[in-house]
Amino acid sequence: MTVGVLVFPGSNCDWDTVHALEDLKTECRTIWYTETDLRGLDRVILPGGFAYGDYLRSGALAAHAPVMAALERRVAETALPVLGICNGFQILCERGLLPGALRNNASGQFRCSLETVRVTAAHPLFPGLAAGTLLRLPIAHHEGSYTVPPGGLGALFEQQQVFLQYADADGVVQAYANPNGSVANIAGVSRGSVVGLMPHPERAMESYLGSADGRRLLSSWLEGGMRHGA
Amino acid sequence: MEPSAVGLTEAEYQTIADLLGRQPNDLELGLFGVLWSEHCSYKSSKTLLGWLPHEGPAVVQGPGENAGVVRLNDAWDIAFKVESHNHPSYVEPVQGAATGVGGIIRDIVAMGARPLALADSLRFGLDAASRHLLAGVVTGIGQYGNAIGIPTVTGEASFGHSYRKNPLVNVLCLGIRPTGRTIGAGGARPGDQLILLGQKTGRDGIHGASLLASQDFGAEAETMRPTVQVGDPFMGKLLMEATLAAVASGRLSAVQDLGAAGLTSSIAELCYRSGAGADLWLDRVPCRETGMTPYDIMLSETQERMLLVAAVGEVDDLRRLVDHFEIPFTVIGQVVATDRLTVWFHGERAAEVAPSYLAGACPRRPLAAELSTAVRQPVAADPSPIPLTFEPDWLLQVLAAPDCRDREAIYRQYDSTIQTNTTQGPGHDAAVLRVRGSAEGICLAVSGPGRWAARDAYAGGAGAVSRVIRQLATQAASPLGLTDGINAGNPDRPQEFRALAALLAGIADAARALDTPVTGGNVSLHNETDGEAIWPTAVIGGVGRHFRPLQPYRDAFLRVGERVYLINPDPAPNLGGSVLAGLLGNLGSYPRPDLPRDAACYRFLAEMLRAGIVTASRSVGDGGVLTAIARMAMDSPSRLGVRLFLPADGLGARGFGEGSGQVVVTVGDGERLEGDADRAGVRVLEMGIVVADAAVSLEAGHSYRWDISRLRRAWRGVPGEGEA
Repeated sequence: MTVGVLVFPGSNCDWDTVHALEDLKTECRTIWYTETDLRGLDRVILPGGFAYGDYLRSGALAAHAPVMAALERRVAETALPVLGICNGFQILCERGLLPGALRNNASGQFRCSLETVRVTAAHPLFPGLAAGTLLRLPIAHHEGSYTVPPGGLGALFEQQQVFLQYADADGVVQAYANPNGSVANIAGVSRGSVVGLMPHPERAMESYLGSADGRRLLSSWLEGGMRHGA
Repeated sequence: MEPSAVGLTEAEYQTIADLLGRQPNDLELGLFGVLWSEHCSYKSSKTLLGWLPHEGPAVVQGPGENAGVVRLNDAWDIAFKVESHNHPSYVEPVQGAATGVGGIIRDIVAMGARPLALADSLRFGLDAASRHLLAGVVTGIGQYGNAIGIPTVTGEASFGHSYRKNPLVNVLCLGIRPTGRTIGAGGARPGDQLILLGQKTGRDGIHGASLLASQDFGAEAETMRPTVQVGDPFMGKLLMEATLAAVASGRLSAVQDLGAAGLTSSIAELCYRSGAGADLWLDRVPCRETGMTPYDIMLSETQERMLLVAAVGEVDDLRRLVDHFEIPFTVIGQVVATDRLTVWFHGERAAEVAPSYLAGACPRRPLAAELSTAVRQPVAADPSPIPLTFEPDWLLQVLAAPDCRDREAIYRQYDSTIQTNTTQGPGHDAAVLRVRGSAEGICLAVSGPGRWAARDAYAGGAGAVSRVIRQLATQAASPLGLTDGINAGNPDRPQEFRALAALLAGIADAARALDTPVTGGNVSLHNETDGEAIWPTAVIGGVGRHFRPLQPYRDAFLRVGERVYLINPDPAPNLGGSVLAGLLGNLGSYPRPDLPRDAACYRFLAEMLRAGIVTASRSVGDGGVLTAIARMAMDSPSRLGVRLFLPADGLGARGFGEGSGQVVVTVGDGERLEGDADRAGVRVLEMGIVVADAAVSLEAGHSYRWDISRLRRAWRGVPGEGEA
């Protein structure tokens, strides 16, 4: 299996992601944003960073990069599993591959911390991560406040598209456990084979880095299968 | 043009005319103006910096290059340096701080090293305007560091009225490069091409170095805003990757970044260090606006630019390599064998001067012969405050004091986990980084206690160095090198110059006694507004080799029943220079460190940690012994507390004095520690025992007790707790 890691000018978590995949003995290849041929890739990760400096709005320019059109085709035609992390999540929302959008943190400040997230809806791409599973994962972002248009939240939950929510240490989704003002504490969402999350699993590969739960999440994603069109 | 318009004195102007054998034209005068500024020439401090020890077994590159380099192991060298961006941060806090971060990162990249970590040291006043400046500076540091993808892994902040109009923003960057890589500014050879890489040149920051950074502030500070540059971390990231790729290709002879004084400084330093000259074709420099004059182009401080130097035959391959990053790459000149820099503009000779005059001939401030001895003399008797009573509220007040308070509100705004090497981040005495593929890791500490230098700059300088080595010792790390960020007032005023000299004498003596060389740094003078100077402040960064980076040594109470000791207790504790003394309104002089005693203590501590006898330790610093103990309790993962037994006599000074060289430790086997300490000639004082009760309790004639929850509220700045 080969995982493609998309790299935009200004991506800065690309090597962390490559290292994490190497630690998991997975073959991977970095894909520069101008590439349009994604053949031979079985999965794609959009890593974190500040693509194009994010001076306009996080992910807004990257969403229109040539590689994104090719990615969109592969998702539509072959249900290619795609994982967007932090800036990658923002890009997927801007491209319309995921519902909703990410706005400035409620504090107006960048925030770097270790958070607990709870799996809200089990996803076929993540075997072994049952609903209710708790993970400790680092966040580091300025625009991580997830939002959906008015009235859209109910549908998101009904369609099992809410993947992760920020929770307290006991796994209860509480207002005070919300680090960035996301609606309903949402930390990650999915649509079909596309999943996005603000926390950085690639930074949580070893307990000596603060948590090894990112290893668990990524291993599960690498194992997970997806029926065509699911 | 008048000499004063470029910041030069009449005497300096005359020296220049003598060197040239003619009057300089306006452009030449401008070149001398920036390079002979205090900021670029170090004319007031260079002789004093000669006092510092620069040699050591780990030193690969000492001062004189863009950054110092020390050897970590057979595979990796570490490049590191601290730099200040004080004046710009006062004038425009967000961009001033952001460009400071960008500048120090480029220094590390110019050494061919990939930046792994940043650390910040901040000094601000206590008024509302200062809080606003601090918020802006923290935003700026985060904005640049977070976006370029370099973690800020440790730092410190401290406060005092003297910083009100002169805040200090010092940032350290550390990077690694493979051993054997020797790229720097000294390798240019005649015939080599000068390649300008990065941002197009604009009219920003002209005279930033000579006028903004090298003069005192007065009422006109507001009008200085146009001299501040704007940072672009996105371009910075592309420039960093392109430069590192070019270095790794082996096609470069030299690299020099463009920082203060832009192209002028970059070319002059490169030529001077390479023993060469250059022809510069200024009309080829890509500019952001039309109509820029040679003067504008030479003095612009536009950020995110780098000068690459390569043989003619390498240029096309380099261009192909760099094209991937989509940034401008332009040949703007070539190296010549003689000591002359000729600036050409559309075929006209716009200036011609010797690089050695620009970069090496600035007259230095003469030193009085007895200065070196004089500044080491004890300062005039300043009564050392020794409180006769002990007030239990002092502990809450000290924890809530601006200099001791929890720093999470700052460091949470910095990405500390990117690059996935941080095994111990902010909130501890020192940061610990792993290095992929190496057993050894890196330990990094930074400290700049201005309060300790307020009355006795020598004590402050020595105390700062000792504190950094102590912080490395709490990780049992072997010190490899130091970087010094010197911040002081106007050197033209005798008392400020003397304080600067005393500060450096203290640093020099401590670095020698603690056997750690200073491999580079930065001097920022003229931190003075309307005649009021800052406390002389030495921001010291220390880098050590960590032997088990995946398991940093602990700094909290871990097991009930363990004994709590103070290693190297101050034999005559007093409150001089301490946080509590400041709160009580009589700061006093910081006690001069007993350096041989400190050295023995740190060697002993490292040994005891590695042997597993000491199970956790914390350096005594701001807030003294009781503050260190409170921190160990507040950080206890299993909510343990401590029961202390101390003599009632002198309790206030023992508990809150900040005398050098002290470390609080926990041990499972107290007799073993005492025996080993005895053999090592180190004094230890048993203070108490770790208990399951979540409180700090103290028997000292009276019984005192502080609940940890209450201590934590004070430390976190919850209103109503610990307010004096």
